[in-house]
Amino acid sequence: MKIGSPPMLALQAGAAVALGLLLPRLLPDRVPDVVVGLLFGLGIGLALAALMRWRLPPPCDTAPSELRRRYTREILLAMTAYAVAVFVSLFLLRRFELDAPLRALLALLPVPPIAFVMRAMVRYIRDVDEMQQRIELEAVSIGTALVCVAYMAGGFLQAAKVIDVPSASAMIWVFPFICAAYGVAKAIVVRRYQ
Amino acid sequence: MKNHLRALRDEQGWSQGELAERLDVSRQTVNALETGKYDPSLPLAFRIARLFGRRIEDVFIPDGP
Repeated sequence: MKIGSPPMLALQAGAAVALGLLLPRLLPDRVPDVVVGLLFGLGIGLALAALMRWRLPPPCDTAPSELRRRYTREILLAMTAYAVAVFVSLFLLRRFELDAPLRALLALLPVPPIAFVMRAMVRYIRDVDEMQQRIELEAVSIGTALVCVAYMAGGFLQAAKVIDVPSASAMIWVFPFICAAYGVAKAIVVRRYQ
Repeated sequence: MKNHLRALRDEQGWSQGELAERLDVSRQTVNALETGKYDPSLPLAFRIARLFGRRIEDVFIPDGP
């Protein structure tokens, strides 16, 4: 099974969700909720990636393979650094009582890796050819607009006290939602050029 | 926008991939250009015309009047 192939991604998704389910039962009270949440998040992300790899035809991305490899490498490195930063940041914030400036510094630890993810995306979009650039532009515009509408709807529901979503989670999930909507929009937009 | 790209490419005996390489775009972009699904930017249209030794209006046929 090839690394990054749909079955491999599905297997990793299953493993992450299984770990999320099993760990709290094997080690009661010793596994923080955030770890379980991260494992479920990882599982959902990998399952989505498997679905997209499986359903999307390769022409969805016309970038040269060298460029795609560079993009994948940069994204993987940044996301690994992000995962480590989240763990370190949460661990230290829970472990120690710190002053506000130091808490802010620790809380912002995962931001630089995410900035590198965005840098990788910008570098990729700048280096693809003009038709792919148009596909990316349309996809990111539609994806962002969809997430904005969804957030606005969520905001109205929250103001009317119909839902009660914690504000920190709502803010943290903006970028992942945009990335997911961008991917789905791209799969639809690309069909117009095939 | 319609164009004579496929005919011009066939004249030269190039594949879509070969033309793509000469224009520094992807093969999918050449395919989308040939089928009229994508209109090139002005710089790319000039590159295409120059590559075949033609004027832009000899390669691309604008829609409408």
